[in-house]
Amino acid sequence: MRSARSFAALTLLAAVAAVVLFVLHLGLGTVWIPPDRVVLALLDRPTDPTDLTIVRELRLPRAILGLLVGCMLGLSGALLQVVMRNRLAEPGLTGVSTGGIFAAVLFLAGTWGLPSPGQLLPFVVLVGALAGGALVLFASSFRGRIDPLRLILTAVIVNAVLGSLTSIVMLNSQQALGGILSWLIGSLNGRVWDDVWLALPWAAAGIPAGLLAARAANLLQLDDESGRALGLPLQPARVALFGLAAVLAAGAVSVSGAIAFVGLMAPNAARVIAGADARRVLPLAALIGCVLLLAADLVAQSLSIRPPIPSSSARVGLPVGAVLAVFGAPLLITLIRRSIR
Amino acid sequence: MNHVEPIRLAQVSAGYGQRVVLDGLDLGLQQGTITAIVGPNGSGKSTVIRAMARLLPTRSGVVLLDGQDIRSFGPRGIARLVSVLPQSPSSPPGLTVRELVELGRFPHTGLFGRLGVEGVLAVESALTLTGLADFAQRPLDELSGGERQRAWVALALAQGASTLLLDEPTTFLDVRHQFEVLDLVASLCTSRDMTVVMVLHDLVHAANYADRVVVVDDGRIVADGAPAEVLTVELMQTVFGVAARIFTDAESGRMFCLPIGTGS
Ligand SMILES: Nc1ncnc2c1ncn2[C@@H]1O[C@H](COP(=O)(O)OP(=O)(O)OP(=O)(O)O)[C@@H](O)[C@H]1O
Ligand SMILES: [Mg+2]
Repeated sequence: MRSARSFAALTLLAAVAAVVLFVLHLGLGTVWIPPDRVVLALLDRPTDPTDLTIVRELRLPRAILGLLVGCMLGLSGALLQVVMRNRLAEPGLTGVSTGGIFAAVLFLAGTWGLPSPGQLLPFVVLVGALAGGALVLFASSFRGRIDPLRLILTAVIVNAVLGSLTSIVMLNSQQALGGILSWLIGSLNGRVWDDVWLALPWAAAGIPAGLLAARAANLLQLDDESGRALGLPLQPARVALFGLAAVLAAGAVSVSGAIAFVGLMAPNAARVIAGADARRVLPLAALIGCVLLLAADLVAQSLSIRPPIPSSSARVGLPVGAVLAVFGAPLLITLIRRSIR
Repeated sequence: MNHVEPIRLAQVSAGYGQRVVLDGLDLGLQQGTITAIVGPNGSGKSTVIRAMARLLPTRSGVVLLDGQDIRSFGPRGIARLVSVLPQSPSSPPGLTVRELVELGRFPHTGLFGRLGVEGVLAVESALTLTGLADFAQRPLDELSGGERQRAWVALALAQGASTLLLDEPTTFLDVRHQFEVLDLVASLCTSRDMTVVMVLHDLVHAANYADRVVVVDDGRIVADGAPAEVLTVELMQTVFGVAARIFTDAESGRMFCLPIGTGS
């Protein structure tokens, strides 16, 4: 499994899968557009002018978001697993999901009474998410030192507290419930170009930076003394990698809500395929994240065009987070059973 | 002997939290020599190693690297001059020998981590010298304790520093591999003019491989000098609390230290 050739082959396979899924994703919707027409529309040579509108205006933002969010969550999870020295770590353990959702709930509870909360919501989630990440980092540092285990425990506690606070606010305000559910589980339904612009800066900055962190990540995977002896300032490196993981996850959460499993599954799959070297694990985790999220969103979308209850209005959008939880869990269990004997 | 000392500890005090382990320690290394640090468990041997590479900041006193205050070097700067093999290193499951050894080049590579020709050569030669060329693709967690130990030695060699601090490099090794590692260290010392400090529990190795033996007890240096001067029956009794016989094997010319027991 671990030879350089099979790594290259599997990486290539994942990349091809991402492209195929991307094109399929653009084809799928109320009207099916075959792949050749999708590609032509993308190249600005549509066979049918309506293809252009459907593919480029309506569907492209969602597909791009699937790509970006999957990539960000996969990479974020891989970085966090290094910082926390734990293969069960996932982006939610940065505190950004609960932070973002708590902010959203507070906001929706309507204390500010703004005219159109929907448009501002992603920003609110983003700010809450970043604050959640900062809170975990701050609460877990002790005399300026970050310890992997203390970081995990702090994150679990902060998440529990923020989760409870969210429930309390929700219980106290009925109107907030409807909108927040899809954030809780994570969804890409109805996303538009504005959402892409919101996530893009975080992805554009966070993904390259996260990949460049591979060298530091490799040393963090050793014992503290070895890492330091090789010239890595451990504490700043931990803060930086945690920060990157949090920023990537926050960018993702602000447009899609708290999508679970991708950030756990992608890095674990990457480790099974590529071993432990972060120079391979990080990019592969990002790539697998894309593939998983696009595939899951494809399922979510195809289920939504044939709603089980025909009487329901225009679209019953199955949230991608739910699909991932249902299909992802068995996949992850199989993977872990095979890799940890 | 006209070299600057690669490392000197001057009046160094160091410890953990409230606990002071080293208190005003003085120790200088001679370029191109092997120094063995011996002493009972918990006497502060590893702490001396840590202080030498600034893995543990000093409370007072100074550590000089090539005659310069170690605090004027960055972490990578120190790592280019001093390699450390910690007492119980660990690597993530699945990391291969080559991947581990390549990490030794961290202090020499830039943002993108390109090894470069020099780096590749350093890694290859470290793998060859430690006899691990055939193991390069194997994950560390699937190796025997001794093979793994050699991989960590290879990592320290790939780092390319001229001073090598090895904390118990022969633990886990069978007799033959103990000699191999020690012979390797001795040959590097002469061929590359490297300065070596080894923490050793086996006094026979200390006696036969080191130019100088430093005995640490309770955070202080209680004896320091050529093996034959330092390793005496009295020292064995006072420092280690064992009765011992010390003799030189006429045939091999090697010095032996044979502990008899704790009885007085
Ligand atoms: N990380 C640490 N935190 C607190 N105390 C420590 C730490 N490391 C070592 N000590 C204490 O410092 C003293 C010296 O430890 P050190 O590791 O230097 O001993 P040593 O001579 O290397 O022992 P050994 O032969 O068992 O490796 C011991 O009393 C030990 O308990
Ligand atoms: Mg020790």
